Amino acid sequence: MSSIAETYTQAESDWKALESAQGPVFYVGAATCGRAAGAGKTIERLEQEIQSRGLSARVVETGCIGPCCLEPVMIVQTPGAPQVLYGGIGPEEATAVLERHGLGGEPCAEWALGTMDGSVWKGVGPFQDHPMMAGQVRHVLRNCGIIDPEKVEHYLARDGYRGFLRALEIGPDGILEEVKASNLRGRGGAGFPAWRKWEFCRSVTSETRYLICNADEGDPGAFMNRSVLESDPHAVLEGMLIAARALGATEGYIYCRAEYPLAIHRLEKALGQMRELGLLGKNIQGTDFSFEMKIKKGAGAFVCGEETALIASIEGRRGMPQPRPPFPAVSGLWGKPTVIHNVESLANLPQILVRGGAWFAQFGSESSKGTKTFALAGKVNRTGLIEVPLGTSLRHIIEVVGGGSPGGKSVKAVQTGGPSGGCVPADQLDLPVDYESLTAAGTIMGSGGMIVLDEDNCMVDIAKYFLSFTQEESCGKCTPCRVGTRAMHAVLDRISKGLGTLEDINTLEEVAMTVKNGSLCGLGQTAPNPVLTTLRYFRHEYEAHILRKECTALACSALVEYQIDETRCTGCGACRRACPVGAISGESKKTHVIDPKTCIHCGACLNRCPEAFAAVYRQSGTVLRRETPKKKSAAAAPEESAS
Amino acid sequence: MKLSINGIEVVAQSGDTVLDAATRKGLSIQHLCTHKALKPFGACRMCLVEIDGMRGYPPSCTTPAAEGMVVRTNTEALRKLQRNILGLTMLEHPSACLVCGKRARCEEYRSKPEKAGRTTGCHTCNNMKHCSVRTMTEDVGLERLPVPPLYHERPLERSNPFIDRDLNLCILCGLCVRICKKHQGEGVIDFVQRGSHTHIGEAFGHTLKEAGCTFCGSCVDACPTGTLSDRFAKWYGNPDHVSATTCAFCGEGCAVLTDSVEGKLLALHSAESFPICVVGRFAAAELLNSAERFLVPKIRVGKNLREVTRDAAVAAVAEQLGNYRGSSFAFVCDTFSTLEDRRVFEQFTREVMQSPNFVQVTVDAKGAGQATLPEGVKAAVLTGALLSPEALRGLDYVVLIDFLPSAVLEVAHAVFPASVFAEVSGSFSDGSGTFRPLRRISDAPGQSLPDWQTVGLWAEAMGAPQLTFAASEEITAQLAIETQARVARNEAPAPSQDITKCPATFRGHALATFVPGLREFDPDAPKAVQVVASTSEDGPFRILSKEEIVPNTFKLVIHAPAVAKRAKAGQFCIAMADETSERVPYTLCDWDAEAGTITLVVLEKGQSSRKLILLPEGGRLAHVTGPLGIPFEVKNYGRVALAGGCYGVGAVGPVARALRAAGNHVTVAVEARSHYLTYLSKQLADASDEFIQTTIDGSTGFKGHAVDAIEANLKAGGHYDLVVAIGCPFMMMLVSELTKPLNIPTQVSLNPIMLDGTGMCGACRVTVGDSVKFACVDGPFFDAHLVDWEEVRDRRQAYSHEEVQSVGLSAPVTVIEKPVDQHHCVAH
Repeated sequence: MSSIAETYTQAESDWKALESAQGPVFYVGAATCGRAAGAGKTIERLEQEIQSRGLSARVVETGCIGPCCLEPVMIVQTPGAPQVLYGGIGPEEATAVLERHGLGGEPCAEWALGTMDGSVWKGVGPFQDHPMMAGQVRHVLRNCGIIDPEKVEHYLARDGYRGFLRALEIGPDGILEEVKASNLRGRGGAGFPAWRKWEFCRSVTSETRYLICNADEGDPGAFMNRSVLESDPHAVLEGMLIAARALGATEGYIYCRAEYPLAIHRLEKALGQMRELGLLGKNIQGTDFSFEMKIKKGAGAFVCGEETALIASIEGRRGMPQPRPPFPAVSGLWGKPTVIHNVESLANLPQILVRGGAWFAQFGSESSKGTKTFALAGKVNRTGLIEVPLGTSLRHIIEVVGGGSPGGKSVKAVQTGGPSGGCVPADQLDLPVDYESLTAAGTIMGSGGMIVLDEDNCMVDIAKYFLSFTQEESCGKCTPCRVGTRAMHAVLDRISKGLGTLEDINTLEEVAMTVKNGSLCGLGQTAPNPVLTTLRYFRHEYEAHILRKECTALACSALVEYQIDETRCTGCGACRRACPVGAISGESKKTHVIDPKTCIHCGACLNRCPEAFAAVYRQSGTVLRRETPKKKSAAAAPEESAS
Repeated sequence: MKLSINGIEVVAQSGDTVLDAATRKGLSIQHLCTHKALKPFGACRMCLVEIDGMRGYPPSCTTPAAEGMVVRTNTEALRKLQRNILGLTMLEHPSACLVCGKRARCEEYRSKPEKAGRTTGCHTCNNMKHCSVRTMTEDVGLERLPVPPLYHERPLERSNPFIDRDLNLCILCGLCVRICKKHQGEGVIDFVQRGSHTHIGEAFGHTLKEAGCTFCGSCVDACPTGTLSDRFAKWYGNPDHVSATTCAFCGEGCAVLTDSVEGKLLALHSAESFPICVVGRFAAAELLNSAERFLVPKIRVGKNLREVTRDAAVAAVAEQLGNYRGSSFAFVCDTFSTLEDRRVFEQFTREVMQSPNFVQVTVDAKGAGQATLPEGVKAAVLTGALLSPEALRGLDYVVLIDFLPSAVLEVAHAVFPASVFAEVSGSFSDGSGTFRPLRRISDAPGQSLPDWQTVGLWAEAMGAPQLTFAASEEITAQLAIETQARVARNEAPAPSQDITKCPATFRGHALATFVPGLREFDPDAPKAVQVVASTSEDGPFRILSKEEIVPNTFKLVIHAPAVAKRAKAGQFCIAMADETSERVPYTLCDWDAEAGTITLVVLEKGQSSRKLILLPEGGRLAHVTGPLGIPFEVKNYGRVALAGGCYGVGAVGPVARALRAAGNHVTVAVEARSHYLTYLSKQLADASDEFIQTTIDGSTGFKGHAVDAIEANLKAGGHYDLVVAIGCPFMMMLVSELTKPLNIPTQVSLNPIMLDGTGMCGACRVTVGDSVKFACVDGPFFDAHLVDWEEVRDRRQAYSHEEVQSVGLSAPVTVIEKPVDQHHCVAH
């Protein structure tokens, strides 16, 4: 084991060598998301090409830089030129980029997203000027997609573990002061100030304290923590060292869901590297600070993201929340004082220690400091992982960073906070994204899920979707949550089928408030939010379902009728043949008719009707919609949910 | 520390929760999931309170009391929240009876719960009399449910010995899980799955036995809802006495509390902080209530033991024993006998029989002990199966004082029925030699007497009155001993933790012989089978299809061509599941003369209907007799209303169809407790001009009973020329009460206990007006206004004791299928 100083010297020179390599370097985003989009094939192709052509080029697997909509992404570096980020690079594009840019030294403008250093190079402008990057400030994601997450040297070369080394110097009280100055608040969703949690825990007399990293990211559509763990695992682990030092914790657990195998693999690898570097174990860096870390795989229960359930799960018990007090900070894992931090909270700590709490606090709003990552998804042109200073408006995130809704449709609402959050309507998009504002609007910050909804999304359907999730994921322990979510789901289901009554709206509100006020843990207390916010902002949609049997978004299949326009139908029979239940009748070359009693609303007829005729249309109540057939899948069912 | 609860100053002790502090002061806060022996859990959310400075509504059961705390438990907001939470709780528990407007009248008419398979309401719930949720709905004032009940449709679990589990009643308070963990270490049950699928169960779908359950019964005792029930005791009703005594089945001498009703021992419960074992908790009561108990003294005449009067038996024994005074006599007992008994036995042996041969078998932990007879013995008295028949065969005279049959009967010359355990009082010496009190709690059957009394009678007849006592206490006084109940122990009694350490015998009898549930733990013992189903591929009385149409209600289509051929609306048949089952009348709900099939709707109530519904498709009934009864008189009455409830819903159809065909305007109103119990709605709607489905809880259709729907129609100006009601007596009585003052002719289909169904036995007699009628041949339809409803009810309960006994066997309810040889089928 060489000294840390020597390692830094070596790491920095290696990094420089990579940046100034003689041959081209291809950095391919290969986190789970990139791989799902085909990055594996891109890498394979590049390696083949390099080998068959005998090139002195390199391929580096990095994590995720963020733009899901543009995956697979790749940064190309050639000597003497700025790095250029490309998007949508499949195997064919990879070969082209290799030839034209890697070997030919000319950028491929059609796929180029921008230069990484802010310069303009042969007509390619800076990536930071890309509208997607407008207003983004990347602290947590600063290494994501830039470094090889499996090489600790890359991390070290970019200030890695310098925060922790400083933490060792300034000691627990110094760390606490720095974090207090930063006013970092919990990124898991509740926004409890980190330093207060620490003080609470430190005030309890105990020989043993535990630190837990909550990596049980479970919100549907949320992937912020996965990205960080896969792209920059050391940042989280360094954060744990810093927090552990401040708390006097001797043992740490990373509770990561088993559905994140790549994250677990990279964490395991990173722990091994830390041990080699003397950053883990007894007397770390020759100090009296000793710390061990273990990875505990979660088995997929959403509720295990709740602190007390998570603790129960680590202890080998069923993941069921327990009432507080006692708070985990007083009596947590194995009955000892325990602090639990979200991945992102921990990933912020290294930079706070390197650059100081005051630096951190200059970003964000009055009460919510720093930046926040969001998984931008749903009906938005540019989906992806983004990071913006807290206080940024929803409008900026959706309209500028996300580029608005596709197909020129208008944004109806944005759902934040996952199943625990709520929907903010389009007319409130100027709301700044901070803990207090979102709470006031009836939703929560949550861990960073942000789902954009457009006119095709029915708010009753959205509420039903989230309730179907929470009623399945409730641990079943306390009555209001277990039964109340099921009861709300039953009422929503009734309304979505046109069987509701106006009384049902009161029932929904009553049950929602019972679940909110009566439930044991955060899951139950927030589970009614999707119902309460949609009732608050979109009551008219509920009323339309009830009074007019009308789903304006044409999303509730029971309320949507498929019909054939007799003025357009030529009797070609395509729809009749496509119908899986034989609901369509009609003689050849005569107008066809759909029997509404037999129809199962699958949409096969709509998709099969030749574009030239476009005779099939959908109708719900007074809403009638003509649309061109979907090309992609012949029998695409109407969308059931937001995910 | 002091805190304020509703403005009242309350002094709390260190470690108290807010709930503890309130309880200490006598302030009541609702709670379901708390238990004195368990740590708070915080799941039921009924004990929520408001506390100044705390966010939301903290649960009082888990919130530690603190100095200066200001607590409110009765604000309007809290009461509403509590009502709403209870409303949610009741969505997962049969709740119609709790929000029923006729509840008081119903419970007046049928004061005891009636047995059933799956429970769907209070009056068929074994837990009716001590149900926490039931009392809570009254206290909280729950009148309606937020949404229709969310019934889980879970099967009734009867595959375990001793314990029935109906998860449809479970509110997931977790008491069973937690008490099991406390009493059995890791515990054998836990919450399984999550969300709305959460339920109590064993890992990997194991049975309780496979999961390592010791059947200590702690979970059954903790269950507040009737989900877990003691199969033997469940239908006997609420105990009228709870008494303290000692369990005398092994040397542990556990202090117990007994439940008894009308002098019948129902169950033992631990009176200590540790559990008792399966023998104490479950087997003891079943053993004492065994149908095989000796009832009268018997004397051998030739090859047979013949019943005689006690006096005759005593005289015979006194005369015979008089011939064996001296060492040719031996008295053999074991240490299960009370000290008082043994004192009398010994005195009898030494003083009356002048013999040194008083043999006491010391029983080991398993209850077994080996006796040997001294040389030269020619006559002996035994207090149980303590010697083999071979060891006794050479004797001239053997007297047995015992309570259950054994091989000793083969050689016994006289048998006296004995009172045992909870039927006697006295002193019991436990394994440590400490004397424990035994109290007389239940009545022994027949002419059973305590052993000391039986022996005293012999002595008196042999001229030795000094062994005659008025009460066992007189003997206790002579013994000069003091007894004390067990108060504390450091660890759980071993048998409660390990079923192999439980006593296996009592007075020489293997317990498993008389307690079929115990055979489950002996791999060699033949298992007790409750239903043997004959199956065949053709032949009469086969079940062609079976379907549980709604919980606890089955539709059976049976091959019975002779019945189908002659059936008319309103008639019934008598079905026997097997050759030993009751003959039960069932209304013909449908038939197909051509196909030779009949359709019955069977509600599981007791052993006979259980046997019937447990028969598999292809299973063969022992017999179906019918059609029986006078068909409904079909003519044009004008406007007719038919009311149906329970199994009667199925019976309404043929009558409705026939009346409609005869030109009547037919209104059919059928009732169900809740939406998940409605059935045949479509068929009945098709068979009527007006169809009204009512539910007691209003979860679908008209809210109320069928009679309410008819009343509403009448109030709205409707008119009926005839009303017909088919259902339970209570439902028919209500219809009768509605129409009587209005002078609307009303017919009801009476359903008393029947035997032959042909007017011979008179079992089905009912009083209608001034005359006695037989429902089987004069009915089933009678003028409702002339029926004596109290009598109908009481006669239906005539055999309730025997009925309960027959469903109370502790063995798992299992069905064995046995193909029958076609040639032996009775042609019909």
